[in-house]
Amino acid sequence: MPPPHVNPNAVFLNIPYDEEFQKLYLAYIVGLSQLGFDPCITSGIPGGERRLDRVLALIQGCRYSIHDLSRIELSAAPPATPRFNMPLELGLTITWAKLYPKRHTWFLWESTPRRLQKSMSDLDGTDPYIHSGTVEGILSELRNAFVRNGAPSVQSMMATYRLVESNIERILAGAGTRNLYAASVFRELCLVALDAVRRTKDAIKP
Amino acid sequence: MPRPIHITTPIEPLESRIKRLRIPKARQKELLAIMDEAWARLAVDRIKRPIVSVQRGEKLESASATR
Repeated sequence: MPPPHVNPNAVFLNIPYDEEFQKLYLAYIVGLSQLGFDPCITSGIPGGERRLDRVLALIQGCRYSIHDLSRIELSAAPPATPRFNMPLELGLTITWAKLYPKRHTWFLWESTPRRLQKSMSDLDGTDPYIHSGTVEGILSELRNAFVRNGAPSVQSMMATYRLVESNIERILAGAGTRNLYAASVFRELCLVALDAVRRTKDAIKP
Repeated sequence: MPRPIHITTPIEPLESRIKRLRIPKARQKELLAIMDEAWARLAVDRIKRPIVSVQRGEKLESASATR
């Protein structure tokens, strides 16, 4: 089977789809769009035995991936269980990048320094980007991870983030859902973020 | 510190990136209208803010006063 086409500007986002992460999720979408990247998530991929194949195909189609492990924790609802989808997707990605290092580069993100050594000691020697659980932290670390000429300032990206965030309710109302991670809402947030690139003076444009 | 990646690949035009999102045209219009309003409000706020504070009789600090 031929290797899948890689979008050189696509970034696979391995993130938790929970309420507490919503602001950071939006920050990733806005920040990556402002830096000239296209975020991709697994939301919208149907369940079942083919799901894993589709997740792998999505990873293979992206030149980069961000694995945000800041919310790997026990669920509040009994029985207290950690969710393993994110570490599984990280494992798939690491394997793919080991096989084809020129086709994929992955990054680890955490909110707290040294937590990764405790949760995943096999990754010792891999330095994560630390966002401190804040929107500004995400935007700042995106600029640190992806160095591109003419990158907008964190201040400018924050202004765009605030503008998109203040209109979330209207976007959700139109989409007829409360789920910010729904596939259709994700695509709509990407559109709004791209529209902001068009309007922002210092955003990177083609 | 993690090692940054220096990106040199050209950025794809916005039009083709938007097209790939496969959002119906009518919904695109709705979303862009929402954002049109938001950006217009922001532009007005940016113009108004200093004028409003002066009208309210607030004293603007001089550069030397803030140091």
